[in-house]
Amino acid sequence: MQRTAEQIEQDLLRPVFHTSKKYWVAVAFATSLFFAGVAAFCYQVYAGIGVWGINSPVFWAFDITNFVFWIGISHAGTLISAILRLTNATWRRPVTRCAEAITVFSVLIGALIPLCHIGRPWLAFWMIPYPSERRIWPNFRSPLAWDFFAIATYLTGSTIFLLLPTIPDFAAIRDTATGLRKKIYRVLALGWQGTPRQWQRLETAMHIMAIAIVPVAVSVHTIVSWDFAMTPVPMWHSTIFGPYFVAGAIFSGIAALILTMAVLRKVLRLEEYLRRIHFENLGKLLLTMSLLWFYFTFAERLTTWYGNAPPEMVVFWDSIRKNFAPLFWIMVFCNFLIPVPILGIKRLRTITGTAIASCTVVVGMWLERFLIIVPSLEHKFLPYSWGTYRPTWVEDTLMAASFGFMALLYLLFSKFVPMISVWEMKVGLQPHGGVPVATAEGEHHGLVLEGPLPTDVVE
Amino acid sequence: MSHKWGMVVDLDRCTGCEACVVACHAENNIPTAGADQAALGRAKHWIRVERYWEGDFPDARIRFQPVLCQQCEQAPCEPVCPTYASYHTPEGLNAQIYNRCIGTRFCANACPYNVRFFNFFNPQWDMPLELQLNPDVSLRTVGVMEKCTFCTQRIKAAEIQAEAEKRDLKDGEFNPACAQSCASKALVFGDLNDPNSEVSRLERSNRGTKLLGELGTKPNVTYLERGTWEDAKNG
Amino acid sequence: MQRRDFIKISALSGAMATLEACRSPEQQLIRFVPEEELIPGIATWKPSVCTLCSAGCGLQVRVMQGDAEVVRRGQYGLMKMGLAKKLEGNPQHPVNLGKLCARGQAGLQVLYHPDRITHPIKRSGSRGSGEFQEITWDDALKELASRLATLQSSNSANSLAFLARPMRGQRRELIERFLKAYGAPPAVWYEPFDETVLRQANLLSFGRAALPTFDLRRADYVISFGADFLGTWNSPVAQSIGYGEMRQGRPGRRAKFVQVESRMSQTGANADEWIPCRPGTEGTLALGIAHVILSEKLAPGGPTSPAGSLEGSRAGSVIAGWSAGLPDFAPAALEKQTGVSAAVITRLAHEIAQTGSAVAIIGGAPLAHTNGLFSALAVNALESLIDTGRDQRPILGFMSEPELGDAAQSAVPLQGSLASLNGLAQAALLGQPHAPQMLLLYDANPIFSAPPGVRIREAIAKIPYIVSFGSFIDETSAQADLILPDHAPLESWLDSIPESGSFQAVANLAPPAVAPLHDTRAMPDVLLGLAHQLGGDVAKALPWTTFDALLRAAFIPLRTRGGSINKKTDDEFWSTAQEQGGWWSDAPTAHAAGAQGGGSQGAGSHAGSQPAAATSSLVPAAKHAPMAPAAPEFAGTPAEFPFHFLPYVSQAFGDGSLAHLPWMQELPDVLTTAMWSSWVEINPKTGERLGIRQGDLVEIASQQGSVRAPAVLSPGIAPDIVAMPVGQGHENFGRFATGRGANPLSILAPLAEHQTGSLAWAATRVKLARAGGPEQAKLILFAGGMRGFPHEEEPR
Ligand SMILES: Nc1nc2c(c(=O)[nH]1)N[C@H]1C(S)=C(S)[C@@H](COP(=O)(O)OP(=O)(O)OC[C@H]3O[C@@H](n4cnc5c(=O)[nH]c(N)nc54)[C@H](O)[C@@H]3O)O[C@H]1N2
Ligand SMILES: Nc1nc2c(c(=O)[nH]1)N[C@H]1C(S)=C(S)[C@@H](COP(=O)(O)OP(=O)(O)OC[C@H]3O[C@@H](n4cnc5c(=O)[nH]c(N)nc54)[C@H](O)[C@@H]3O)O[C@H]1N2
Ligand code: SF4
Ligand code: SF4
Ligand code: SF4
Ligand code: SF4
Ligand code: SF4
Repeated sequence: MQRTAEQIEQDLLRPVFHTSKKYWVAVAFATSLFFAGVAAFCYQVYAGIGVWGINSPVFWAFDITNFVFWIGISHAGTLISAILRLTNATWRRPVTRCAEAITVFSVLIGALIPLCHIGRPWLAFWMIPYPSERRIWPNFRSPLAWDFFAIATYLTGSTIFLLLPTIPDFAAIRDTATGLRKKIYRVLALGWQGTPRQWQRLETAMHIMAIAIVPVAVSVHTIVSWDFAMTPVPMWHSTIFGPYFVAGAIFSGIAALILTMAVLRKVLRLEEYLRRIHFENLGKLLLTMSLLWFYFTFAERLTTWYGNAPPEMVVFWDSIRKNFAPLFWIMVFCNFLIPVPILGIKRLRTITGTAIASCTVVVGMWLERFLIIVPSLEHKFLPYSWGTYRPTWVEDTLMAASFGFMALLYLLFSKFVPMISVWEMKVGLQPHGGVPVATAEGEHHGLVLEGPLPTDVVE
Repeated sequence: MSHKWGMVVDLDRCTGCEACVVACHAENNIPTAGADQAALGRAKHWIRVERYWEGDFPDARIRFQPVLCQQCEQAPCEPVCPTYASYHTPEGLNAQIYNRCIGTRFCANACPYNVRFFNFFNPQWDMPLELQLNPDVSLRTVGVMEKCTFCTQRIKAAEIQAEAEKRDLKDGEFNPACAQSCASKALVFGDLNDPNSEVSRLERSNRGTKLLGELGTKPNVTYLERGTWEDAKNG
Repeated sequence: MQRRDFIKISALSGAMATLEACRSPEQQLIRFVPEEELIPGIATWKPSVCTLCSAGCGLQVRVMQGDAEVVRRGQYGLMKMGLAKKLEGNPQHPVNLGKLCARGQAGLQVLYHPDRITHPIKRSGSRGSGEFQEITWDDALKELASRLATLQSSNSANSLAFLARPMRGQRRELIERFLKAYGAPPAVWYEPFDETVLRQANLLSFGRAALPTFDLRRADYVISFGADFLGTWNSPVAQSIGYGEMRQGRPGRRAKFVQVESRMSQTGANADEWIPCRPGTEGTLALGIAHVILSEKLAPGGPTSPAGSLEGSRAGSVIAGWSAGLPDFAPAALEKQTGVSAAVITRLAHEIAQTGSAVAIIGGAPLAHTNGLFSALAVNALESLIDTGRDQRPILGFMSEPELGDAAQSAVPLQGSLASLNGLAQAALLGQPHAPQMLLLYDANPIFSAPPGVRIREAIAKIPYIVSFGSFIDETSAQADLILPDHAPLESWLDSIPESGSFQAVANLAPPAVAPLHDTRAMPDVLLGLAHQLGGDVAKALPWTTFDALLRAAFIPLRTRGGSINKKTDDEFWSTAQEQGGWWSDAPTAHAAGAQGGGSQGAGSHAGSQPAAATSSLVPAAKHAPMAPAAPEFAGTPAEFPFHFLPYVSQAFGDGSLAHLPWMQELPDVLTTAMWSSWVEINPKTGERLGIRQGDLVEIASQQGSVRAPAVLSPGIAPDIVAMPVGQGHENFGRFATGRGANPLSILAPLAEHQTGSLAWAATRVKLARAGGPEQAKLILFAGGMRGFPHEEEPR
C-alpha cells in the first residue's frame, strides 16, 4: 500500500488538528500524576526530606535510581537517531522524531530529580558557576559539578537536535492552520520558506549536531556512572562503570523507544508508518544491547567474585543470594533471559514480541540501577554502620510522577508537533531518497513530491 | 608552627562506656532523633562505639572500637562535594561548612567510615531543653550534612587564648569533649606536628594502625590495637 | 510549650482583631532584673556534685549567660541568667579526676527536662488519675504543716513514714533528725540494687561495712565475679580511670583481667578471659581457686608472703574449712556445679599465684542470689589470699570517712532495703496500729522498682495522705496527694560523701550552679521550714533556717583536719570549700602500707582508717560462725521455668530512674546497640531451638507475671539464661519514657538474700516463648552488623 504526500500530511498532522476524548482523559491522568508529584515535593520541602525512606547509611535510593534511569532512557533518542542519521539508515525516518522527543523529556526529568533530592532545593543554584558574593565557585573536582555541565549540555544539544528538523513541519502546519494557531506556528517556523539555502543549512546543521551529540551522549552517562565509580564504596569503585552505564543506557533507551512507538502506532493510528521492519530492526539492536549488557554484568560480577575482597563480597552475596536476590534475579530475567529468546527468534520478533521484550527491559534496567545503588550503600566497610532501606509513599509518588510527567510532556508535544517527521517521510517518497525541491511560492512549505514510497519502508 | 590536630584511640583502654558519646552530644548540640526516627536509622552519634562479636558462647569475645571522623588527609568526602562545604582546613582538619551545604549527601556516600550525619528534618528541642544548647556551636538546619569537627570551637578558643597571651599552646591544654570525658584515657588528642606531644608519642606505638588504612584516606586518627597479657609477659 | 503557643496565638489574634492596644505580647512579658553579672559569651565553670548515682563524682558546670523563661514569686517572665551548658568532671576531685560517665553528663537534661513539675500541685482527681491542680507554696506548706501537727498531737507521730533512695550526706541526716524529733520511725531507704550484702560481707571479712575501693592502676591480675565495675557498679568512673592505667599506663606491664559471670556485661566484654559460670556459684568457684593455691602451697605475690597467712585478715576465717585448705573445693568436684572446667580453675590459680598484684572483686548478680553473702565472703577470702600487697599495699582498701561536725553523717544501715520496704508495705496492708497515715516520698519509686510480691502499690493506696518532693511524675509520685517539687540538683545546695572510689576521705559540697528555673523549692529547705512551723522538739533538733546553714555547720569542723583546704577562718574555709566542690583529705603516701585512708591503722591490712566518730555508728561485727557453703535457691522449678532470669542495671538508666532523659534513651546500649527499647538477651542456640529470631517479640513469664520485649540474640549469654536490662517499662514517667518497653523488675520473685534480707534479684526462674514477629516487637538497633571483617555469618 502506498501513501501520497497528501495522505502522509493528513495522517501525520491529524493529531495536531484533531483531539479525541481519550486524549483528554490521558492528559488528565498524566497531569494528576504530575501534580501528585508536585504535591509530594512541596510536602517534602515543607516537612524535610526525612519524609523519604533514605537514612544513614542509605543516603541515595529511589531518587538517584530514577535519575540514572531517566538519563539512561534519554539515550534512546538522540544517540540512536544521530547514529542512524550519520549511517544514513533510511528506515530511521519514521522513528527519529519520536526518539528525539524521548531524549529531551527524559533528560529534563532526569535533571529535575537531583533538584528534588537535595536537602535544600532552594539552594540548587549554587551548582551554577556564577560570580556570587560568596566568591565561591562550584567545586570542579566533584562529579556532581561535571554532571551539571554534562546534563545541561546534553539537554541543550538534544533540544536543538529535536527542534531543528521540526522547523519544516512547523511551516507545514503554519500553512494549513488558521487563526491563532497559524500565528503561533508562524513564530515556531522561524520564517521557514523552504528555499534551497534553508534546506542546505538545515542539512548542514543536522549533520553537525548529529556528530556533536554522540560524544555528548556517551559522556553524559559516563559521568553519571562516575557519581558512583569515583567513590570508595564497595562495588561502586569500578573502572567498568563508564561503558557499563553507557551500554545500559542505550539498552534501556531502545527499549523505551520501542515501547513508545508501539503505543503511538496504536493511538495515533500510524500502522502504515511504524511497521514491523522498524520494530524488527530496533529489536535486533535491542538484542545486541541485551547481549552486551549481559557481558558487562557478567564481567563486573566475575571480577568482583574473583577478587574476593571481603567488603565487596558482602554486597555481592547480598544481591545474589540474600536480601536483594529476588530483585537481582528478576533483573536478570527482565534484561536477558526473557528478551534474548524473544528477540533472537525471528518468529517471535514481532511488534508485540519486541514490545513485550522492551517492557521487561525497562523494568529490568530500573532494577539494575536500584541494585547498583542500594545494596552497596547498605553495606560499606564497617559492618556496624550497615543499614537497610525501604521507600516511603513520598518517594513512590515522586517516581510515579516522573512517569506521569513523561507522559504529559509527550502528550502535549504530540499536540503541537507531528510525531513523525512529515517532510522526512515525504523525502522518503523521492526515488532518490533525496533532496527537497523548492517552489517559487513563498507560502508553500516547499516540497513537491510524487511517486511511490521508498522501498526501504515497504515490507 | 602550624598545628596538625590528631587523635589516638587506644582500643586496649576503651571500656565501651560511651561517656564520649554523651559528651559529644552535649558539646555539639546534636539533636536526639527520637524513637521513630532512630528506628529509621537516623540517630546521630558523631562518635559511636562500634562493637564486634567474635566467636560463640562460651568463647565469645567483643571488640569495642570508637569511631569518629578520621579527619582524613586524603578525605574522600571532600572532592565530591560540589559546593566546598566539605573542605580541608590549613590545619589539616576536614571541616564541614554547614551554610554552604546543599544536601546532596554525596560526601556521606563517599566517606568509608559512615561518620557523616544528615539532617533529615529541622532539629527540635522540647522547651526548655533548648537551654542546654552550647552557644559556641551552630545548629544545623534541615538538609545539611554534619559530622565530628574535632570540636573545632574548642580548638579555636584555645588558639585565640594562646595568641592573646602571646604564647604557644601547651600539649593537653584543651581537649575535645569526647577525649575530655574519657575516664580510661582511651582517647588522646593533640598536635601531631609536635613530636613530643602525647598523641605523637602514642601514634608511633607499634600497636598503631589506621582504620581502613588500605583505602589510602590517610586518617589523622590512629588506633592502638588491644594488647594481650601473654605479649606483655613475654616483654 | 503551651504558654509559648498562647503567646503565638495571642500575637496572631491581636494582630488580626484590632490595633487598639498597640502593645505586642513581647512587651506584656515580664523581664526580670538579672540576679548575677555574667559576661555574654564567656563561660565560667562552677563546681557541683553528680547525684545520678551513689558514686558521688565531682562536677564542674559550664555556665554561660542566656535568656530563660523563669518563674519568680509565681510570676512568669524572661530573665538573663547563668545557664548550665555542659557538665564535666572536676579535675581536682579525688574520685573522678575530671572524668564523668555517660549518665553523669546527662544530669543537664534533668535540669532542663520538659516534664519537670514546675510548681506545687495538689491532687484534684482520684488517686493516680494524674489530675492535679496548681497550688501556691504558702497554701501547700500550710496544709502539710497542719496535717503534720494534727498527726503529732493525736499521738500518731509514729505513723509518719518517709521513703527515700539511700544516700550519704546531710540530706539523709536532716531527714533522720526530723523524723526522730517528730517521733516518727526512721526513714525507709529503698533502692532495688542496694549493696547491703557486700557491706555486710566486708564488715565480716575486713571489719568495714562499706563498699571497697580498688587501686586498679597497680593491679597485675584482676579477677572479677560479676562486678560491672567499668559500667554501673560501685564507683565506675574511678574504676575506669584505674583500668586504663592498668592496661596501658605502665610500659611493659599489662594486667590480665578475668571476668566470671553468666551474661557478658560491658565490663566482661573488656576481659582478657571471659568465663561463664552457673548463676549463684561464683563463691564456690572462688573457693576452688583458693583451694588450688592453698593445697599446692602456691605463693601469690612472691616468696615474701607465705600463702594463706595474710596478717590481720579475718576473711579466711569466716569461711568454713579455710584453715584446713578447703578440702571440699577441689576443682574436679566443682566442674558440674559451676560449669567451669577443673583445668581452667587450676590454671587461673596458677596464673594468679605467678602474678604480682592480684585482686578479686565481687559485685552485681552474684550478690543477688539467696546465697549472696556466702559468695561475697568466699570472694573476699580469695581476695585476702591473693591481694598480698606485694608493692606497698593491697589493691583493695576502704575509703576513710570525713569527720563532719554536729550534723554528722549516719552510717548506712545493714538492713537490706527490701526488708525495710516490706516492713512499710506490711504495716500499711495489715492496717497495724501504727500503720502509716502519712507518707513523705523523696527520690524513690518503689511502685516501679519493687518486685510485685511486696504489693507496694496496694500498700501505698492504703496510706491516706502522700506527699512527694519529686521533680517528675513517676509511677509512685503519681499517687501523691500533694507534690512539692524539689529544685533540680544543679539548682540546689548539694553535698554527699562518697563511700568508695578514692583512698582520700571526701566530703562533696556545692552551692547551686544555676538559679532555679521554675517555682520549685529545695526539699531540705522545705523540711527545715516545716520543722520551724511545727516548733517544739523538731524545731530544736533542726535550728537551721536554710540547708546551707546546716551544711556549713557540718563542714566547718573539717577546717582543722588539713587536707585540701588550708584556711585560717571558718568563712574562708567555707567559701573555699564551695569553690573547690568540697573537702578531701591528703592523698595517702605510697609507703603507708595498709593506711589507705590516710588516717589511723585499721584492724587488718584491708581495713582502712576508721575515724572514731564514725565507728560508733557501725553495726558491730557479728560473732559469726564460719560460713558454710550455701547453694543458691531459685523461685520456680526448672521443669516449669527452664531459664534463669537475669535483670541487670542498665548502663544508661541505672535502676530506671534516668529513663526519662532523651540522651540516655538514644544512647545505644554498647553490647546490643539498642536504643529507645527494652530487649531480652538470649543465646542464639536457644533462639534456634524455640524458633526465636533477632527482633522477634518474646514473652518471659515467671511465677509473678510476664513481660514482653524484643529478642536480641547474643553470643555472650549461656543457653539457659535470659537477661533483660532494667530501666524501661515505665507506665508514667514523662514523654520520653512512658509506655516504652517492659520492666523486668515486675516479674521478680520476692526472694531475699537469706542472711541480709536484700532483694535476690537474680533468683527468679522464667519460661520463654515467641510471642510475635519484629513488627510487634519494634526493636530499635543502632548497628547493622554484629561481626566485623573477615566476615562471619550473623547468628540467625
Ligand atoms: N526586625 C528587626 N529590625 C531591625 C533590627 C532587628 O533586630 N530586628 N535591628 C536594627 C539594627 S540594630 C540594625 S544595625 C539594622 C541593620 O539593618 P540593615 O543594615 O538593613 O542590615 P542587614 O539586613 O543585616 O544587611 C543589609 C544588606 O547588606 C548586604 N551586604 C552584606 N555585605 C555587604 C557588603 O560588603 N557590601 C554591601 N554593599 N552590601 C553588603 C546584605 O546582603 C544585606 O542585604 O536593622 C535594624 N532593624
Ligand atoms: N547573627 C547576627 N548577629 C548579629 C547581627 C546580625 O544581623 N546577625 N547584627 C549585629 C548588630 S547590627 C547588632 S546592633 C547586635 C545586636 O545585638 P544585641 O544587642 O545582643 O541584640 P538583641 O538580640 O536585639 O538583644 C539584646 C537583649 O536585650 C534584651 N532587651 C530588650 N529590651 C530590653 C530592655 O528594655 N532592657 C534590658 N535590660 N534588656 C532588654 C533582649 O531580650 C535581648 O536579650 O547584633 C550583632 N550581631
Ligand atoms: S569514653 Fe573512652 S572508654 Fe568510654 S567508650 Fe568512649 S573511648 Fe571508650
Ligand atoms: S572520616 Fe569520612 S567524613 Fe571524616 S574526613 Fe574521612 S571521609 Fe571525610
Ligand atoms: S551533602 Fe553537603 S557537604 Fe555533602 S557533598 Fe552535598 S553539599 Fe557537600
Ligand atoms: S572530637 Fe568533638 S566533635 Fe568529634 S567526636 Fe569528639 S566530641 Fe564529637
Ligand atoms: S559514676 Fe557517673 S552517675 Fe555516678 S556519680 Fe559518677 S558521674 Fe555521676
